[in-house]
Amino acid sequence: MDDILIPNELSRRRFLKAGAAVGGLGLAACAGFSSEGESTTGGGAAGGAAGGSGTPIPGISNKDIEGKTNITVWFWDAGLKYAVTEFNKTNKKNINVKFVKLGFDDTHQKLLTSLAAGSGAPDVCALEIGLIGGFASKGGLADLKEAPYDGGEFEKDMVPYKWKHGSAQDGRLIAMPWDIGPAGLWYREDLLKKAGLPTDPDEVQKRIKTWEDWFQLGEDLKKKTPKTSLFADAFNDVYIPMVEQQGHGWFDGNKLQFEEKALKPLQRAVEVRKRKIDADIDWWGPEWNTALKKDVFAGMGIACWMQTGLTQSHPEHVGKWRVIKAPEGNYNWGGSFLSIPEQGKNKDAAWEFVKYVCCTKEGQNAIFKATGIFPAYKPAWEDPIYDQGVEFYGGQKTFRLWTEIAADIPGNAVHPSDRQANDILGNEVTKIEQQGKDPAKALKDAETEALKRIKNIES
Amino acid sequence: MASTTLESGGSRRRKGTMYEMRRNVWAYAFIAPFFLLFAIFGLFPYLYAFYLSFVTWDGIGGPASQQWVGLENYQQLARDDVFRKSLYNSIWLFVVTSLNLVIALLLAFILNSGLVRFKEFYRAAFFAPIVASSVAIAIIFSTLFGERYGALNYVTGLVGIAPVDWLGSAAWIKPAIALVVIWRYFGWNTIIYLAGLQSINTDLYEAARVDGAGWRQIFFRITMPLMRPVITFTVILSIIGALQLFEEPLLLAGGTASTSPGGTDRAGLTVLVYMYSQAFQYLEFGYAAAMSVALFVIIVVFSFLYYRFLGQEEA
Repeated sequence: MDDILIPNELSRRRFLKAGAAVGGLGLAACAGFSSEGESTTGGGAAGGAAGGSGTPIPGISNKDIEGKTNITVWFWDAGLKYAVTEFNKTNKKNINVKFVKLGFDDTHQKLLTSLAAGSGAPDVCALEIGLIGGFASKGGLADLKEAPYDGGEFEKDMVPYKWKHGSAQDGRLIAMPWDIGPAGLWYREDLLKKAGLPTDPDEVQKRIKTWEDWFQLGEDLKKKTPKTSLFADAFNDVYIPMVEQQGHGWFDGNKLQFEEKALKPLQRAVEVRKRKIDADIDWWGPEWNTALKKDVFAGMGIACWMQTGLTQSHPEHVGKWRVIKAPEGNYNWGGSFLSIPEQGKNKDAAWEFVKYVCCTKEGQNAIFKATGIFPAYKPAWEDPIYDQGVEFYGGQKTFRLWTEIAADIPGNAVHPSDRQANDILGNEVTKIEQQGKDPAKALKDAETEALKRIKNIES
Repeated sequence: MASTTLESGGSRRRKGTMYEMRRNVWAYAFIAPFFLLFAIFGLFPYLYAFYLSFVTWDGIGGPASQQWVGLENYQQLARDDVFRKSLYNSIWLFVVTSLNLVIALLLAFILNSGLVRFKEFYRAAFFAPIVASSVAIAIIFSTLFGERYGALNYVTGLVGIAPVDWLGSAAWIKPAIALVVIWRYFGWNTIIYLAGLQSINTDLYEAARVDGAGWRQIFFRITMPLMRPVITFTVILSIIGALQLFEEPLLLAGGTASTSPGGTDRAGLTVLVYMYSQAFQYLEFGYAAAMSVALFVIIVVFSFLYYRFLGQEEA
C-alpha cells in the first residue's frame, strides 16, 4: 500500500501532505519554523536500509557501521534526524541508529505486516494517536513498563493524558509518549480587526467563556463582514473539539461511549450549521484551501502542529493568527509515540534511543526547535524557548500557552477497535451532516452497528 | 523440439513421463522461472488468503495468534449489510462504467474509418490517462468536483444548473467515481478495439460496399460479428476491473485517512475499499480474506454468465 491519500483529515502529517500536494510545494514532509528547510533531493545518504523503500535523508547515514550495535527506526517526518545525529554522536553504548523515513501510512502498514509475518519489523517504530489503538493487542509491541525497560519511572514526567494514550486497556505501556497536539481556538487577527472586533488574545480569551460566546462572536463577525465566517466546518471546528474535550477515543474499558460523548457535540454542530455561523466547507480538501486563501473563514479549532503546516503551505499567513484556550475545557488533537516491536534483536539499544528521544530534554528539544513537534515530556518545557514570543502568532507566547493547555487535558487508554468504532460513527455523522438525520437517532444506529460488528464490547 | 519428438517416436510410452522430462530438461528449466515466481507471488498468497478466511486474526501477534473458526467468517459475511451495500455499489459502478466500452468501440471505429487525420495523436491522447498516477488524478478530480470552487459546477452553473456536492452527497459520489473511471479507461479499450479492427480484412468492407451496404450495415453486419472475440475479452477484463475498483473510490471519498470510508452513507464504498478497511484498518484479516474469496466467486460467476450467454460465437 503506497501512500494513497487525499487531503481530508486530522493530523499534522496528513495536513503537511495535503498542503504539499495542493499547494504544489513538492513532497518534503517537514519544514519547521527553523531556518533549516527540508529538502528531499540530493544528499549523501545511501539507501538499502531495512524495509528497502525508505527515502534517504540528507546528512543522515542509514548504513550499518561495523563494530557498533546497529538499530533501525521508522518514522514519517524527516525532523527526527536532528535527534538521530545527536544520539549517534553522543551515546556511550556504541549504538548506531539508522533512520528510515517512510510515508505516514507506510510506517503503520509496514509495521502491521511485519508483525503479522513475524519478521521484518524495525527496532523502533513511531505510531500516531489515530492508529495506535490497532496495535494494542498483546504480542506485537513490548510493554515498556516491564523489565528490561521499566519505563514506569517516566510517568511523572509525561503529560498525564498522553501517558494514557500510550497505554492499552489492561495497563501495558505499548509505546512511549513522544509528541502531543495541544489544541485551542485560532483566529485571524487581521480579519477580526477589519470587523471592528477585539483582537488581543487576553481580551478575546476573557470574552470567550463558553462555546456559545464563540458562536456569538461568529455571528457578530458575519454581521460586520458577511463574506467571512468564524470557522469553516462545524463538524470539524466544533464537534471534534467538544468530543476531544472529554478525552480521546470511544471506549471506557470495553464500554462504548458514543452517546455520552458525542450527543451534545453533534447537537451543537447541527445548531451552528443552522444558524449559518460556519462556512459549510469541508476541512482539508481543495475547497478548504481556496476558502482559506479567500478569507472565507477567520478561525478554527485546531492543534499546535497547524503552525508548521500553514507556515509551509501558506507563508503569507505568518503573523496573522492568534490562539486562545477552547472554552469549557482543553483538548488534544494528534501526536505520536515510539514503540519497540517484540521481534527486535537489539532491545537494549532500542530502549536507549527511545529514552533519548522521548525522555530527555536534549532529545525532545532538538526535534522541537527544528520542526515544532511538541514534547510530551514536561521537563523539556523548562527551556527558555517556551517563553519567547512566536513570530507566526504575531509575537504571542503560544509555546507557553500550549504547555498550559497540555497540562490540563483528560485522557483515555486506547482500544484495539478505536478506528472501527470511529468509522462507524463517522458514517452516521455524514448522514447528520448531509441528510439532516437526527443526532440522537444517528447515535443509536451507530451504537447498534458497533455492538453488532465489534466483538467483546458493551453498551 | 521437432527432432526430439521424431527420434523418441514409438518408444515414448514405454519409457514414461520421467524419461520425457529428463530429455526436455532444458525446456523445463527455461519455463521454470515463471512457475517459481508464480508459486511464490501468485499461488501461495491465493492459498494463504483462502486459509485465512477460516481463521480470526488481528495480525499483531504474528502467525501464532491465528485462531481457526471454521465457516464463521462466511456466516458473518452473509449477514453483513455493509458488505451487501458495497457489493451493490461495485455492481452499480460496473454497469455504468461499461459505458466506456461503447465509447471506446465508437471511437475506435471512427479512428479506423479513414475519416480522421492525426490518428497517432488521438491514440496517444486517449491512452494518456492510463499512464497518469492515480493520486494525481484524484487530486485533480477532487478539485474539479468541488462544490463551491470546482470547475465542473462553474460550467454547469453557466447554464443555470444548481451546484452539486459531487463528492459529499450520497446521490452523486457514484456518478463522480464512474466519470473518473470511464475517463481513465476508455482509451485502453479504444486501443484494443483499434487493434481488433485493423485485423479485419478490408476486402470484406469493399465487397460490402460494392454490394451497396451503408455504414450502419457494415458496422453491425461485418464489424461487430468479427469483433466478437475482442469484445468478449474487454468485457471480461471490465468485469474483473470494475468489481475490483479500489484507488478511484478510495481517493475520491477521502483516502485512507477518511473517518467515513466510502463517503456519505457509504455510497461510494466498493467491495475492495471495504475489504481494505477490514484488513488494514480494523485488523480483521480473516474476515477480509473471506470477503476476497466471496468476491472471487462472484467475478467468476459474472464472467461465466457473460461468456456463456453473450460472448460465444453463434453456432
